[in-house]
Amino acid sequence: MKVEVKLFAVAKQLAGADTAVVELADASTVADLRAALARTYPPLAPTLASVVFAVNAAYADEQTRLHPHDEIACIPPVSGG
Amino acid sequence: MRYAPLGRLGQERLAASKVLVCGCGALGSVLANTLARAGVGHLRIVDRDFLELNNLQRQVLYDEHDVASGLPKAVAARNKLQAINSEIEVEAVVADVDHTNLAELLDGVDMMLDGTDNFETRYLLNDASIRFNIPWVYGGCIGAEGQTMTIVPGETPCLRCLMPESPPPGTTPTCDTAGILGPIINVIASIEACEALKILSGHRDAINRTLMVFELWDSRLRQVKLDSLQGVDCATCQQRQFPWLDGQRGSHTAILCGRNAVQLSFPGRQELSLENLAEKLQSVGNVTRNPFLLRLAVDEFLITVFPDGRAIIGGTEDIMEAKTVYAKYIGN
Repeated sequence: MKVEVKLFAVAKQLAGADTAVVELADASTVADLRAALARTYPPLAPTLASVVFAVNAAYADEQTRLHPHDEIACIPPVSGG
Repeated sequence: MRYAPLGRLGQERLAASKVLVCGCGALGSVLANTLARAGVGHLRIVDRDFLELNNLQRQVLYDEHDVASGLPKAVAARNKLQAINSEIEVEAVVADVDHTNLAELLDGVDMMLDGTDNFETRYLLNDASIRFNIPWVYGGCIGAEGQTMTIVPGETPCLRCLMPESPPPGTTPTCDTAGILGPIINVIASIEACEALKILSGHRDAINRTLMVFELWDSRLRQVKLDSLQGVDCATCQQRQFPWLDGQRGSHTAILCGRNAVQLSFPGRQELSLENLAEKLQSVGNVTRNPFLLRLAVDEFLITVFPDGRAIIGGTEDIMEAKTVYAKYIGN
């Protein structure tokens, strides 16, 4: 299945896009998505360890199952202030 | 007071409250300003830095006179806040918040607000929040984006529930590398301040229980529900491990956000005499001094030394180079 991931903050800059499109096996989880994003967008890899994923506007842990039309957001921590 | 949910009782509670504003740069300026005008009775402002001209783009408590005065931010902030509201008590603490001084800084404090620019200090605040049962509000900004989350021990997830590991150094952009748009600071800090008003006035039921993520340039707000984090086996709020507060995590050097500067600190070290140091450095370069700090301009570096031995080495973002410069002129 194909999933679309909305990228935030530094993830957007590192991937060079607002949205990442990733091909995943059916019934994949957030953990699979994290790995797939690192493969597809190598500059994102170091940041991915600390990003928060939200699926349909709720926090999603590593075991959360993904579906083709989920609204997925990749939210890196934001540090300035 | 006329705002019904706050009321007279709420206003009285604000007047009786004590808040630690941790960091008084961009976020901290708005936080302290808002709370002083709201009549929060006691503000303790702690900041490690001094003012520079390029701070004025976003650090709304300060002006060109403050920059020219060479004062540390905490002191300039106190002066301004007392002029805004003379009926409240404002304490200025010029220090780097670390595991050796945070417990003391929290003496009598009802809540902490995040005006910092780094995750090391935020994880330290989070440890202290859970250990001492003091609510705090996380806020961070970069570019035109910002995030905030309210942490009430025992009621909400904590920062470490959301982000179990602090981001590795160098992976989060600084204001220097990504720039920052003034309005996002006001948005995030205003939400933090409003959360403080709710908690301090006794309205915990009204707090924000989501991670709020703003993208101002695209005019978008997202609220991420955190309900599923409730009760996760968090190292901090469930297992009650406090490695930042215990001093096992966290370094004593920091690259300062947006500053082309490195801070070196030495917790627990003896006070040094700025007067003696000024004499020693007279022949080395241009030395200026006030009661709070000494400044030495030499080669391409601007070195600022505080009485606790802490120094900010301007002109480099290389920690090793900063340490070399410190050793060469200030000594170890």
